[in-house]
Amino acid sequence: MNCDLARLILPEYLSQSLGESQELAFAAHLATCDACRAETERLGSLWRGLALLPDTLPEPGANVRDRFYESLAAYRHGLESAPKHGFKEKLAALWPKQAAFQMAISFALLVMGIGVGYEMQREKPVQPVVGSELAQLRGEVSNMRQMVALSLMQQQSAGERLRGVSWAYRVESTDTEVLSALLTTVNNDDSVNVRLSAVGALHAFGASPVTRAAIVQSIRKQTSPLVQIALIELLVDLKVTDAAPELKRLASDNTIDLSVRERANWALGKLLQ
Amino acid sequence: MLRNLIIFAAASMMLAAQNSGDKVTVPFRDPSGPKTLKVSLLNGTVSIRGYDGKDATIETAAHISGRERRPSHVPEGMHRIDNDGMGLDVVEENNTITIVGHNSSAHLNIQVPMQTSLVLRSVNGGAIVVENISGSIDANHTNGGITITNVSGSVLANTTNGKVTVSLNKVSGDKAMSFTSFNGTVDVTLPADVKANVMMKTNNGEIWSDFDIKLSASGKAPVVEDTRSKNGKYKVHLDRAMYGSINGGGPEMQFVTYNGSILIHKK
Repeated sequence: MNCDLARLILPEYLSQSLGESQELAFAAHLATCDACRAETERLGSLWRGLALLPDTLPEPGANVRDRFYESLAAYRHGLESAPKHGFKEKLAALWPKQAAFQMAISFALLVMGIGVGYEMQREKPVQPVVGSELAQLRGEVSNMRQMVALSLMQQQSAGERLRGVSWAYRVESTDTEVLSALLTTVNNDDSVNVRLSAVGALHAFGASPVTRAAIVQSIRKQTSPLVQIALIELLVDLKVTDAAPELKRLASDNTIDLSVRERANWALGKLLQ
Repeated sequence: MLRNLIIFAAASMMLAAQNSGDKVTVPFRDPSGPKTLKVSLLNGTVSIRGYDGKDATIETAAHISGRERRPSHVPEGMHRIDNDGMGLDVVEENNTITIVGHNSSAHLNIQVPMQTSLVLRSVNGGAIVVENISGSIDANHTNGGITITNVSGSVLANTTNGKVTVSLNKVSGDKAMSFTSFNGTVDVTLPADVKANVMMKTNNGEIWSDFDIKLSASGKAPVVEDTRSKNGKYKVHLDRAMYGSINGGGPEMQFVTYNGSILIHKK
């Protein structure tokens, strides 16, 4: 059994709904895989914690209900007794009662209207972009960048995928679709060059807990020491102190490249400073 | 999806015959369309040369003699091309020729039309050598060097233990490129008028270039370690990745090695 399958059936293992043979295979995998064992323990404690919660939540007391209706009634009362100072009333108050003043104001408005109309016609070519239009435009540009990045990252040619990754630098750091495409690239792309570049692009997404957890998990999946070290250095850049236990395990794992182990040790020192 | 397999039954006879001078010719279905050659070897050396012709020619120089093996199962419509213990499959599909070596050490000399894109993978053994190609080249090795010379287009090259040497006559305008090694030197020659945004990073080596690379202060801010309260030290160190532009900037190019040096030559 590999880690991917183990992660897939982990929920069923916890709920004890696996078949006997699968459960045995799962247990055998746990015995050999530290990462999966840690994950199982972590989720297992959450699972047991959930079981401890009471089945029904306590009902709110009778006085809570009364208090709610009281405050609702008080609010209604306040609304009704408040003097009516709506927009219409304010506008009506401005309008003079004498007909002569009314005429004068009407005439002044007419003159102003003609003037404004004339001015507007003269300045027509220069149309000011209002705030909302600018925001919309910006939104469209960022949508377009997202589209370009996402579609390039799925190309057959590694050169095109590399271009897609460099487009990912230009999207908003909150773009979860691009983030997930980048993570897929980091873990699965066929080209080490593309993977390495994608690790660099993850930096901008470093505030997200999803990114931080994914970087930690990705180190073991990599076959290239160059990518492993880039991920370790990214952990230091982003100050992912949660990574310390995994870095400790990496540093003492003989199956891992010596330079990578040394770098993991270095990172550990940096993070625990 | 259009699935066209051309199987080369005669090839096995030819390949199995001798130890030297074995040669098989594989045509591309559409010689004027975009062509791709994929080579995937576990052990071995592969040398690819662009030439003025329409077909791919594959020459093997395997020197390992072993007893003839019988394929354990034959996939429908497929034929195994065996050469004295050296398993080698050659398949043409949608203008892509795929060569997969299964075991033992292969030494392949391949000729393809100059306008061919390459996807090359090798793990152990000798080098990957590419010459005289115009297209996009993606080469990945583990224990061996990569030498790509006299090419135009775009290049991605990575190896763990070995040197990466690339010399480009002409680059395609908008393609990103990447040249990386873990333990080896990265040595790249680019046309004098190339426009690029470069990222260079080595942890234990040096960076050399005769290009006028304008280093930018942007990228990552310097890391400041302020431990004055603890031991009175205040250290500013620049991240080892350096960013810059050549001839005003252009597509992204990355040069990364961990234990080697980086050389960027002007052609």
